[in-house]
Amino acid sequence: MKTLLIACLAALPVLGAPQQFQLNLDAVAAKSSQHVDVFLNASTLQLAAKFLDGDDPDEAKVRKLIEGIEGIYVRHYNFKSAGTWTQADLEPIRAQLRGPEWSKIVGVTRTEEGGSTEVWLRLAGNKSIGVAIIATDPKEVTVVNIAGNINLKALAELGGHFGVPKVKPAEKPKKEE
Amino acid sequence: MDWLEDELRRALAREEPPVGFAKRVIARSARGPSGARRWLAAAAMVVVAVGAAGAWRQHQGYQTKQELMLALRLASAPMHRVQLEVKDISQ
Repeated sequence: MKTLLIACLAALPVLGAPQQFQLNLDAVAAKSSQHVDVFLNASTLQLAAKFLDGDDPDEAKVRKLIEGIEGIYVRHYNFKSAGTWTQADLEPIRAQLRGPEWSKIVGVTRTEEGGSTEVWLRLAGNKSIGVAIIATDPKEVTVVNIAGNINLKALAELGGHFGVPKVKPAEKPKKEE
Repeated sequence: MDWLEDELRRALAREEPPVGFAKRVIARSARGPSGARRWLAAAAMVVVAVGAAGAWRQHQGYQTKQELMLALRLASAPMHRVQLEVKDISQ
């Protein structure tokens, strides 16, 4: 009975679906001028969903998007000047994502601008059970973990809605004739 | 006029309270408000507490919704950018 109780208590964090990797970004945080942390677990997501307006098209999309999500954990940092943070500061995150359960599906490096975006998927069999996003710019770092099954296309399409300006990729320089 | 004076004297005459009057007053004041008043006060307190809890939950709900929108803004912006970049490369 005692063993069963201990097993049940040990299972609690799994049932609560906490973040799927440690967002240990102390080195980045120490250098940042401003940071935003958002940690939403299943119960807070459910509460937020109740306050989403189904008649508002954007909020209706959000409600649909978060249906299969068990947690959203975001850390976003701003820096006063470029070169404040280094790639080594993100190594604790990347080291965790190199584990067998994670697969990198997209990696874009903007050499000229000095930024990059990586998208990692956590798979259980053929099913996606989590997403990790590492987005960097010279003056910004964003690390996201979404636990649960999320529609990545729908998430990308939310960009440009509710105050997010649509980002256009940098135009290629025209060749002189 | 004698009858009037007699009436006044009788009406204004000092009269001793009945036996045990002071004790009864003290005992009553020690008992506090009556049962009905106590129930009314308790009901009012319950109404105020329920109202405050509802307002607090409403406030928490809106705050959590704002946090969700912020989290999705931060998560969707790089995804949107990557989507456009990948589309641009593939074209």
